Amino acid sequence: MNTSTSLPVLRVENLDIFYGKFQAVRNVSFEVRPGEIFGLLGPNGAGKTSTLSACEGLIKASSGTILVAGYDIRHQPIYARASMGVQLQSTSFQPELTVGEIITLYAGLYGVHLTQEGLMAILGDIKLADQVGKRFGQLSGGQQQRVSLVIATIHHPKLVLMDEPTTGLDPQSRRQLWERIEAMRDKGHGILLTTHSMEEAESVCDRIAIIDHGRIMTTDTPQAIIDDNRDNPDVIQASRKGKITLEDVFIGLTGTAIRS
Amino acid sequence: MSSTVTSPELSLATADSIPAPRALPSAGQVFLSLFKADLTTQWRNRRASLMVVLLPVVIVMSWKALIARTGGAFVLANAATLGLNAIGLMGYPTTIAKDRDKDIFQRLRVAPAPGWTIMGSRLAVQLVMILFMIIVVFLVGYQYDNIVLPVTGYLAALLASIAGGAVYLGLGQAIVGRIRNAETVTSTCRLIYIAFIMVGMFGELHMLGKYIDDITPYTPYGTVKTIVSAAMTPAEWNSTSTLALFITLGYTAVFTYAGIRWFKWSTKS
Repeated sequence: MNTSTSLPVLRVENLDIFYGKFQAVRNVSFEVRPGEIFGLLGPNGAGKTSTLSACEGLIKASSGTILVAGYDIRHQPIYARASMGVQLQSTSFQPELTVGEIITLYAGLYGVHLTQEGLMAILGDIKLADQVGKRFGQLSGGQQQRVSLVIATIHHPKLVLMDEPTTGLDPQSRRQLWERIEAMRDKGHGILLTTHSMEEAESVCDRIAIIDHGRIMTTDTPQAIIDDNRDNPDVIQASRKGKITLEDVFIGLTGTAIRS
Repeated sequence: MSSTVTSPELSLATADSIPAPRALPSAGQVFLSLFKADLTTQWRNRRASLMVVLLPVVIVMSWKALIARTGGAFVLANAATLGLNAIGLMGYPTTIAKDRDKDIFQRLRVAPAPGWTIMGSRLAVQLVMILFMIIVVFLVGYQYDNIVLPVTGYLAALLASIAGGAVYLGLGQAIVGRIRNAETVTSTCRLIYIAFIMVGMFGELHMLGKYIDDITPYTPYGTVKTIVSAAMTPAEWNSTSTLALFITLGYTAVFTYAGIRWFKWSTKS
C-alpha cells in the first residue's frame, strides 16, 4: 500500500544485493525527488547497475525497500513499473519492427492510447517523423537513444531510470540528450541515471551519490561534494592541476586501481 | 476489467500529496499489444516460417506412393508431426534465445506487463504457425494426393496437432531454459530435431531395427504422430490412441515445467 508521505518519486532504503556469496550492493539508501536529476556515479563494478536493476524490478534485492512513487517494487511490481520509465544501457527492441510499431507497442503496454496523429507528433518532436517506417536497427546511435527516451516517457512517469544513457554517443548527440533530460526534469519528472562520466555528473545532475564496492561514499550536489573534500589528502593527491575537480574527489574516494 | 486510459498530465508532487491510484491497461490489452507485435515479427521473418512448412509439404508430396499401402492419414500424420517438430524445435527456441541475448525481454519486463503475457504472446504466435502448417498440409494432401478426411477428422486433427505442438514447444522451452548461449541452443535443437526425424521417419518405415520399432511409439515423435493420425480417422480411435494422448500430455507437462523452472529472462542473471 502506498503511503501518504511519499514525497520522493524513488526511495531506496538499506538495499543489499547478493550474487551468490558476493555482495554487490551494501546497505544503500537514497531518494530521488520530483523535478530532480540524481546521478549514481561509480567505477566499473561499483554496484550502479545492480542498484538500478533492483529499482527496475529486474533483480531481487536480498533485503531493503524500494518504493517507486510509493509502490513497493517487490509487492506491487505492476503499479511500480507503471510509475516508472526505463532506458536500459543497451537499447533492446525487436529488430524486425519499425520505429512506429515499437512506439505503438510500448504505448499499449503502458495503457497510452496513441493515434496515428499522436505517433507522428511524438516522432516530430524528436525530429524522426520521416523515420517512422524504418526498422529500429537502421537508426544511428543518437536516433536510437531518442526513440528509447520517448518510449521511456510516453506514459509521463513520475520516475525515469537511465543506465549510462550517453555511452557511445558523439558529443553532439550527448549534448542533445542532456538537453532532453533537463527538459524532462523541468517538466517535473524525477530522473535517476547511472554514469561514470564526471562531465555528465557535473553538467547534468542536481545531486549525485558516489558509489564504490557496493557502498555509497557520499551524496550531495556536485559542488558541495567538491567543497566538502577540498582538504581530503587523498583528493589533493589525486588532483592534477591544483584545482580540485569532481574527478579528483572521485579518484580520491574510490582509489586509482583500474576496475575490470 | 480496467480499460485503456489516456495517460494523465504529469503534476508535480507536493509535500502532502497522495499519488492517485494508477489505472493500468488490462492484461488482455497488454497481451493483444504484444501479440500484434510478435505476429508482425513472425510475418517479417516469413522466409524462415515458410521453411518450417516446406518439409511437411515435401513429405506429403514425396510419400504419395505410400498412400495405397499405409493410408492417407499415415502420410498426413507423419508430415504434420515433422512440421510440429520443426516449429517447436527450430523456430521458437532459437528466436527466444536470440531475443534474450539482445535483452529484448528485459526491456519488456520493466514495462507493466505480467510475465505470462510476454511468453504467452510468443506461444500464441506459434499456435498460429501450427494451425497454418496443418491447414497447408491438409490442402496439399487434398490437392496433390487426393487425401480426403471426414470433417470431424480435420477438426480433431487440428486439436491433436495443438496438443502435439505443445510437446515440442515445451521441449524447446526446456532447452532454451536450460541453455543460455544462443548458439548452443540452436545447435542442440538442430541435433534433437534431426534425431527425431531419423528415428521418427525411418522408425515408422521399420528401417532401424526392432528395438527402435518398439520404443518409437512412446517417444515424443511417436505419441504425437499416433494421436494426430488417430484423430484424422476418429472412428478408429482406440486405447492405444488414448494412451498416446496421455503420454503426450505427460511430456507437455514435464517439458513445460522444466522450461518454466529453468528459464532465465537474461543471459546475465
